[in-house]
Amino acid sequence: MSSLFRRIPTLCGAFALALASQAAAAKDVSIAAVSGYFAQGFGVSIVNGLKKAEKDLGVRVKLIDTGNRALDYEEQFNNVAKEGSYDLVFVMGWELVDALQKTAAAYPNTHFVFIDGVLDSKSISYANFAQNQGSFLAGALGAMLAEKGSAVEGFGNGKAIGFVGGRDLPVIRDFLAGYEQGAKAAAPDVRVDAVFAGTFDDPAKGSELTQTLYGQGSDIVYNVAGPTGEGVLQASAAAGKYSIGVDIDQCGVAPGHVAASMLKHADVAVYSLVKDVVDGRGVKPGGTYTYDLSTGGVELLLCPQVSDKIPADVKAKLEAFKADIVSGKISVATVK
Amino acid sequence: MGQRLEALSGQALAILFALILGAVVIVAVGENPVRVLVTLLNGAFGSPERIAGTLLQATPILVCGVAACISLRAGLFNIGIEGQLFMGGFAAAWVGFSFSLPPVIHLLAAMAFAVFAGVAWIALPAFFRTRYNANEVVSTILGNYVAVLVTSYLTINIFKRPGGLPETPPILPTAYLPEFFSFSRLNWGLFIGIALAIGAQFVFQRTARGYAISEMGANAKFAEYGGIDIRRQGFLILLASGAVGGLAGGIEALGVHRRFMEGFAPGFGFDGVIAALLANGSPIGTIATALFFGALRSGSLLLEVDTTASREIITVIQALIILAVSAQIKLRRGASDSMAGERRWKF
Repeated sequence: MSSLFRRIPTLCGAFALALASQAAAAKDVSIAAVSGYFAQGFGVSIVNGLKKAEKDLGVRVKLIDTGNRALDYEEQFNNVAKEGSYDLVFVMGWELVDALQKTAAAYPNTHFVFIDGVLDSKSISYANFAQNQGSFLAGALGAMLAEKGSAVEGFGNGKAIGFVGGRDLPVIRDFLAGYEQGAKAAAPDVRVDAVFAGTFDDPAKGSELTQTLYGQGSDIVYNVAGPTGEGVLQASAAAGKYSIGVDIDQCGVAPGHVAASMLKHADVAVYSLVKDVVDGRGVKPGGTYTYDLSTGGVELLLCPQVSDKIPADVKAKLEAFKADIVSGKISVATVK
Repeated sequence: MGQRLEALSGQALAILFALILGAVVIVAVGENPVRVLVTLLNGAFGSPERIAGTLLQATPILVCGVAACISLRAGLFNIGIEGQLFMGGFAAAWVGFSFSLPPVIHLLAAMAFAVFAGVAWIALPAFFRTRYNANEVVSTILGNYVAVLVTSYLTINIFKRPGGLPETPPILPTAYLPEFFSFSRLNWGLFIGIALAIGAQFVFQRTARGYAISEMGANAKFAEYGGIDIRRQGFLILLASGAVGGLAGGIEALGVHRRFMEGFAPGFGFDGVIAALLANGSPIGTIATALFFGALRSGSLLLEVDTTASREIITVIQALIILAVSAQIKLRRGASDSMAGERRWKF
């Protein structure tokens, strides 16, 4: 009996300690990200942003891989949302949209942020990228180089530029719309040949399609196709022609042949949204956060290995286009 | 009976061995095996929703498993269940969104089309097998790729829903395979699967045709000598297997997704074959193995959230089980000097 009494203070202490640690835990910020693409370009960019937030802001980060079975998605989301233990849940991938909207309706306490698109639900927030603006510059660059033809090393006189998309999705069409408009604005007589691989996972197909495009007169091909696009970049090296990278800096995939990369800074988007939560500003449900040329959310990076070969007037014109888009003088068409 | 018990304990030992190896893998990736096991169990059975989720995951594995059992019984190997599932799923969804019919009739029509599509998809390999003795393993597996691409083509280029996602319009509510509970997508497909398993077991054990099929599986030459038309039986058995495979797709389309989309249900055909092999080709046993794999898959969804281990760890465990079970079959076959060991898995 006496030993029990002696233990009471210890027990109380332990209890208080537990309470205190719980209070501290409540102040911590937990972030989750749900996707099937963490290993690929855009997904890697998201992971980088989260890693940075983990390091700089001290938030806890959990990556949740969905795999590729549609049957799993709903229960996977339920497991994420049920405990309500995350302050923000990033979601990336169009195949998850259905399950996401159901879960968001069922668990209003979990705050989801859908990356790379805007849906109907008012409880979800959206991180959207002006890929059409970045692609406008990519199209302008390609068209101006094709216009100059053999004056630029590696170019012929086909007067065409190519585009290889992954699946035929609205977001990929948005890239294409900007690319076509940019080409037209910069060099109206240059043709845009666009093809869709129908898959994001087939580099061999990307390479094959690119060779076909080269055969049809294009000397530069823009890839918006995930791993399929790796094939596009490699084909440009094999053929001694050019390609344009997407989402992340792809200049190193085929050095000297990737002319530029259209960057979508998912890392910047994710980091700034997490920071909003940490700083107490919060992220608005139903709100759309757009990352465009003016905020540096998208940008066209000229690859250093190729930059010297790009004529100065082309570079100057690109800067002018960029300024016009930022100022609103040029409005770039978008596909939703 | 004693022999069956021995087979069962052998299977259990193989699974235990695989789980121990799995634990080693889990330790190697720096996670605690006990924690992983507890999370798996919690994810599979921790709440009514999760139990329903386990049954939901088990359903397609069970139906595909029955399809595999049917062909295995006759010594044939239909590994194209995946393709039949895709074709069946697409056919059911197509009937579901294209026609407007009264409630029950619409559902039955869609199911019938799923079955028909499955049969149609295996008809060619079955014909080649019967007529030219072409290996059905090769022809059915090749059919898988074609089925996935054909349905994907039809979905994207002809039936794509306005709005841009690579999926068909949703099916009409009259074609829904009803759900049991409001909180889960678990539906009547589970009972269809159980009924199919019991039905297949009954046919195998209690009917003359079932006996003929089992004889054929045990020793085709002997069966032929005994007066069984093994070509005809083989053709019909492959069609039956394809029919169940197609139905599996129909159940997924009408009961779970209520539409068809690209990447509809990857891998279930193969999971079904594995479940059937693990059950030694017994349809009733497949109910148990399908539940086991369903629980693994369902548990892995929580595993991904609550631990640092990847959900892919269950794929590793599944592969280890296959390895252990096939090694065990091989060992037993080697140990026995009778022809009984020659049953079924002859490629």
